Amino acid sequence: MADVATQSAYEKLGEEYRKTQSDLSAYIEARQKLESQLQENKIVQKEFSILDDDSKVYKLIGPVLLPQDKDEAVVNVDKRLEYIEAEIRRIETQINDTRAKSEKKRAELISFQAQLQERPRS
Amino acid sequence: MSSDQPKTVDLTALSAQQLADVKSQLEQELEHLSQSFQKLRAAQAKFKECIGTVEKTFKPENKGKSILVPLTSSLYVPGVIEDVEAVMVDIGTGYYVEKKPKDAIAFYENKVSTLQKNLVDLEAIVNGKMGNLRMVEEVLRQKVMSSAPNVA
Repeated sequence: MADVATQSAYEKLGEEYRKTQSDLSAYIEARQKLESQLQENKIVQKEFSILDDDSKVYKLIGPVLLPQDKDEAVVNVDKRLEYIEAEIRRIETQINDTRAKSEKKRAELISFQAQLQERPRS
Repeated sequence: MSSDQPKTVDLTALSAQQLADVKSQLEQELEHLSQSFQKLRAAQAKFKECIGTVEKTFKPENKGKSILVPLTSSLYVPGVIEDVEAVMVDIGTGYYVEKKPKDAIAFYENKVSTLQKNLVDLEAIVNGKMGNLRMVEEVLRQKVMSSAPNVA
C-alpha cells in the first residue's frame, strides 16, 4: 500500500486533471454558443445586404419595436460580428491551452500510476 | 466539433472496453444529431406555416375584412385588416423589417430551402454515423462471443 503522502499527491494530481477537463468543456460550450450567435448575425447581415435602401428596419427592445436607421443597423451588426469573431479567436486559444494542459496532466497521472504499480507491495 | 480523427483505426484491434467507449460516444453523437434534425424540421415547418399565412391573409380582396387576433393561444380580440401591402418580418437578433407580402414569402421560401439543404446534409451524416455504430456493435459482439468461453 502506498504511503499517505504519495496517496494524497496522487489524489491532488487527479483533482487537477479533472479541473482542466471541466474547464475545457466549459470553454467548448462557450465556443458553441458563440458559433450560433455568429451564424445568426451572419444571416441578418446577409438579409440587410439584399434589402432595399428605403426598407423600414425595426429593432425589438423589450416589448417595443423601435424604428431604426438601416445604415445604423448594418453598422451595428457588422460591429457585433467583429466582436464575436474576436471572442471566438480568444476562446479558441483558451481551448488549445487548456487541452495541452489537460494532456500534460494526464501524462503525469499515467506515469504516476505506473510508478505506484512498480513499487513492491509490502 | 466531433473529436474523431481522420486517421483510420482497425476496430478489431481495439479492446472490448475501448469498443464500448467508442460505441457510447457514437450513441451520444447520434442522439445530439437527431435532436438537431428534429429542431431543423420544426423550424422548417414554422416557416412553411408563415408562407401559408401570408399567402392566405395578405391579398387585395381581404382588405377591410375582420379577423380574430390571437393574444394568447386561447384569447382572441377582433381586428380589421387595414393594410395588405406590408408585413413585419423577424430576420433575427431582434431586427424586424417591413416587407411586401411577396418579398416576405420569398424570404421564408429561401429559409425553407436552406433548411432543406441542411436537413439533407445532416441526414447523410446521421446515416454515416449509424453505419459506424452498427459496425462497432458488430465487432463488439464478436469480441464478447469469442472471449466468453474463457470466462466460463
